Amino acid sequence: MTGTAVVIGSGAGGSFAAMELAEAGWQVVVFEKGANHFSNLGGEGPIGTAFANDSLATQVRNFPGTDPEVFPRTWRPNQAAAVQYTGSVDELPQLVGGGTVHWDAKVPRFWDIDFQQLSALGPVPGADVADWPFSYADIAPYYDEVEQLIGVQGDTEAIPDIVRKHAPRAKQYPMPPGPQQRSSIAVAAGATAIGLHPYPFPMAINSRPYNGQRACNDCGFCSGFGCPAVARPAALIPLRRALRTGRVRLVPETMVTKVRLRSGAATGVNWIRMTERGPVTGTQNADIVVLAASAIETVRLALLSKFPDQSGKIGRRLMLHSFTDGTAIFLDERMHAYRGRSITQCAEDAADPDFPGARAFARAHGLPYLRGGLMELGGSQDPITEAQSYQTLLGFVRSARPFGTDFKQLMRSSILRDRLAGCQIIGHDLPYLGHTVTLDPTVRDVFGLPVARVTWSPGQHEQVAQQFWIPQLKKMMTKAGAGVALAVPATENSGGLPTGNHVMGGMMMGADPATSVTDSYGRVHGLGNVFVADGSVFVTSGAHNPTNTIMAVTLRNIRHLAGTPA
Amino acid sequence: MPRFFTGHEAVVVEDATARIAPGPRDDPAEAGHPGAREAGVTDYIDMMLGSLGLIGGTEVPPPLVFAGGPWSNRHTSGPDLMASFVRLDPVTRIAWRTRLTGWQRQYQQGIAALDKLAGGDFTRAAPAEQDKILATQSVSTFTALLFEHTIEGLYANPEYGGNRGLTGWKDIGFPGDSQPRGYTGDEVERSDGHEPVDDASVVAAVLRLLGAL
Repeated sequence: MTGTAVVIGSGAGGSFAAMELAEAGWQVVVFEKGANHFSNLGGEGPIGTAFANDSLATQVRNFPGTDPEVFPRTWRPNQAAAVQYTGSVDELPQLVGGGTVHWDAKVPRFWDIDFQQLSALGPVPGADVADWPFSYADIAPYYDEVEQLIGVQGDTEAIPDIVRKHAPRAKQYPMPPGPQQRSSIAVAAGATAIGLHPYPFPMAINSRPYNGQRACNDCGFCSGFGCPAVARPAALIPLRRALRTGRVRLVPETMVTKVRLRSGAATGVNWIRMTERGPVTGTQNADIVVLAASAIETVRLALLSKFPDQSGKIGRRLMLHSFTDGTAIFLDERMHAYRGRSITQCAEDAADPDFPGARAFARAHGLPYLRGGLMELGGSQDPITEAQSYQTLLGFVRSARPFGTDFKQLMRSSILRDRLAGCQIIGHDLPYLGHTVTLDPTVRDVFGLPVARVTWSPGQHEQVAQQFWIPQLKKMMTKAGAGVALAVPATENSGGLPTGNHVMGGMMMGADPATSVTDSYGRVHGLGNVFVADGSVFVTSGAHNPTNTIMAVTLRNIRHLAGTPA
Repeated sequence: MPRFFTGHEAVVVEDATARIAPGPRDDPAEAGHPGAREAGVTDYIDMMLGSLGLIGGTEVPPPLVFAGGPWSNRHTSGPDLMASFVRLDPVTRIAWRTRLTGWQRQYQQGIAALDKLAGGDFTRAAPAEQDKILATQSVSTFTALLFEHTIEGLYANPEYGGNRGLTGWKDIGFPGDSQPRGYTGDEVERSDGHEPVDDASVVAAVLRLLGAL
């Protein structure tokens, strides 16, 4: 059967959902809350863009994101606490292309033990650990397909044994790795020196022309920036395929405010759009509705639409990754991380619960196991962000006059930019029922709708894992030649606020309606024609950048839907 | 370009931002190192505060909030595509109207507060006195805002009105936007060689602070 499908969101999930449905013959309307900064999306040849090497627009003025002035969120650390922050909370770009607009396109795979975490590793007291409704072997072909479709660079020969063991792969990457950043090479040497196994970070960046788009020319404005060369088009590729069927209408600058429900099914959606003369509203009928607004906004829409919630788990088990921020400062060399695709090396050893010493450390802290996560080796920040760091630090070291020539000397020394190599651990985040997305009782967006309230802080497992891995991280940076090696939980740098931009959970998949929100293919339990195709369906968080897993899971789920009578 | 500041307001902002990021005329330690004055930080702030018009109650198109793309051709030949600013969608326009209205008020009140602390005219105070005023608790929120905008006026792309002649970037050895040229594989991978960090006392103080964390 085919009919009319509404897809909400045009990012990693929405683009793949639209492609699968349109190619199966559905008429598809894709609603995108934000603007379209691309041209020639549905045409042939290079896609055009308004994104540039522009730190001000990107890092300060929210150009690739949403503006918290009109679309804020709120945050509190736990269920008993009051809201402590209103503003930007783990905001992903809400634009045509979604999170793949600003990402640095890292595409490591989740491990086999991520998909069967309960069976493989057992329960953890206080957490809601569960298995996914499918295994790594089931999803592996979809990972392969995603890599071929969007274009990924990598080197299977260089993949270390621990990764081969937990994420075996059948195919070579479609493109070889590009030049390795000096800062990544340096830190990777430190990783090797302490017994870790770094390798070229797989990334969805063209190392040669691919899909009719340019090869990356290593401009250096990568992580967090929109790509001026469109050398990491990602969601734009399935979006283009969808548009080329002639059955897809992409509607930007339009926010879906409600999924209209009648007797256990959706009949369509309500939408709202701001114009120069004020808001305009409308409805769109649909035979099926696919929510792909990314985890936090999808949950918000489910709550605004009053979805049935048999398990009581809508909005629960929010997983954000508990990042550790490592900072290696090189006192004798400038590392020039402003050149190159950012962060060209990674190591996955810290995702391994059986890393030497990890089990014993976990047991000593009352846990059955601990997992850190993928280490991102290298990269730095731009001068504006660097200067903001000095503005803060001068308040401590020069309180009588926290500006002036001291500020400019710090900028010239560039200890926090040109001499810096970042080393982040993407900390595995366990699912906890108390980590939630709910509707804020008081704060409203520009349209007067309740905003998402995020309740999250690193749990016991995450804190213990950080305690175990932080000394290793420091040792690694010191071995790499860093004169100063810092490593702290990212929440210590942010006053507790989550800032990692990896958002998962809230609409958990599972076979049993009593314990999950969506079925084994992402269909909302109790709603026959409503599907979810983003990170909210994740059952566990892996220890890796999540976007290609969102794509692979969407491909699996929506292909099943498209090929099966609804 | 729409102007927000009055003549006097512009001079106060220029003097204040030159204390935050001094140049050769403002601090002997900065000989050879252009600062906020030379980079045109006041122009940057003035352009920003007027970027939607919003002066005398009217909005003047086009908005100057997001520079265009995909590149400026600064290091290559061809037109500066960043100089044509991006259309603002209506929701984002509301956000910026709110933000800029707040900042306009903060600047008017902040400048008046600096003048008052200087006994009438901030620009007539001696540099050491200006430093003391900017470090005064009662204006700390305004000084922090000035600092943030000074940073932006020094290191943002010049299409936004500051970083004149790329002086902000040149002083820190940053080449800025590199598209559409980018970098060669060798430029990405190679070591630029041995270069010890400056032995300035503030650098040592910050390294000590960080090392103690």
